[in-house]
Amino acid sequence: MLTQTQMWAVFDGTIVTLKIALVAIVFGTLGGILVALGRLSKNKVANSASWFYIWFFRGTPMLLQLFMFYYAIPIVYLEITGSSFAMNAMICAFITYSLNSAAYMAEIIRAAIESIDHGQMEAAKALGMSYHQAMIRIIIPQTYKRLVAPVGNELIILLKDTSLVSTIALFDLLRTVKTMASATGDWVYYLYAAAIYLFLTTILQVLFDKTEVRLGVYEKR
Amino acid sequence: MSMVKVKGIKKSFGTLQVLKGIDFEIKSGEVVCIIGPSGSGKSTMLRCLNRLERITDGEIYIEDELMEYRKNDTDVKKISAAKLQNLCCDLGMVFQNFNLFPHLTVLDNLTIAPVIVRKEKETVVKKRAVDLLERVGLADKRDEYPVRLSGGQQQRVAIARALAMNPKIMLFDEPTSALDPELVGEVLSTMKKLANEGMTMIIVTHEIGFAREVADRVIFMDDGVICEEGTPEEVIINPQQERTKSFLNKIL
Repeated sequence: MLTQTQMWAVFDGTIVTLKIALVAIVFGTLGGILVALGRLSKNKVANSASWFYIWFFRGTPMLLQLFMFYYAIPIVYLEITGSSFAMNAMICAFITYSLNSAAYMAEIIRAAIESIDHGQMEAAKALGMSYHQAMIRIIIPQTYKRLVAPVGNELIILLKDTSLVSTIALFDLLRTVKTMASATGDWVYYLYAAAIYLFLTTILQVLFDKTEVRLGVYEKR
Repeated sequence: MSMVKVKGIKKSFGTLQVLKGIDFEIKSGEVVCIIGPSGSGKSTMLRCLNRLERITDGEIYIEDELMEYRKNDTDVKKISAAKLQNLCCDLGMVFQNFNLFPHLTVLDNLTIAPVIVRKEKETVVKKRAVDLLERVGLADKRDEYPVRLSGGQQQRVAIARALAMNPKIMLFDEPTSALDPELVGEVLSTMKKLANEGMTMIIVTHEIGFAREVADRVIFMDDGVICEEGTPEEVIINPQQERTKSFLNKIL
């Protein structure tokens, strides 16, 4: 069993994990919407900027992105300005995970919008709606249900991927139990971590299942 | 007064020319059926009228007001967005695949456009929508989602939805082609009722019997041009052109 100190350490680790995941979920979603709009836009600049954004953040390892923000940016800053600054590991994690998640979310959102039958836009236009009215009132509401499963996927992956922050000196859940396991030689600590990860992902999974049913109410024959 | 007038309209998709110069005029209250083989450009022509497709060349007038004047795929005359929206709202359209909004109830399908496009009061629109549902015989379905209706019922809702905008002209793009045979009748009789009430209607259809019975004028299109036009008597019973005869022989 865990001692009380260990229990608090595991709790703190879980909080670190959750903090990063929550911040990334919020900003990743908001950023994802923006980037998706860029990808759908006819504006060439917005479109290619979004394309490059997705290309970069999906095309390089998450771990590399973490290192880049944590180690490389302070060095570049030093080269340019001559003064040094220390990157706050937590802020660095917030930024990296949000930016990374936004790239995946953008593609999920874009695909959902493009999956709506073209006849819907035509019907809206034939009724005199502008492109924006049609998007907001007709097209986007129909994507909600289709977004649930892939967004659920992305968020569960995101939650687990937060374990990479141990590489930039953050004590998240996995790093905390790993330290305990190597100090004592007892692998059972990993089981505690597994149970907590499973508990958190179960909440997400149940939440998303319920949401999907609720949003699909108009598809039930 | 002419409700719709088109002059020399042409439409190309890339190198494929679908409309090769079409002229016609439709008067208020007239019911015109457009028939012809698939690929003849009937649907494209209809979709050009409410700008779902932009014509490459030609002029389109709605109620004697210029709506579109283009040459070589560019505007000769710019029409203000407000005026365009007004003219577009005068044209109601019914699609082959209904295209009802699946996430909205039947009643909301009818009310959404008048409320957000015409900025009408919700209570006023709702009352009109209920009346319209009554007219197409679906008053009891107002709170259902479209997926729970049969194809024929969905198409009648689609007709009511278009009428909710108080259009002056109704465009029908093969409104019964996606329906099971036993459901065609209810849609056609709804359309017939509308025609008898004096609505100006342009109907692309393969229902020759319906065209014969309801149309004031029949237009036969083939290969992007109007081949023959006249009363149902003239075009369907006694066609003069070889192409019209062979088309009618194939489908009758």
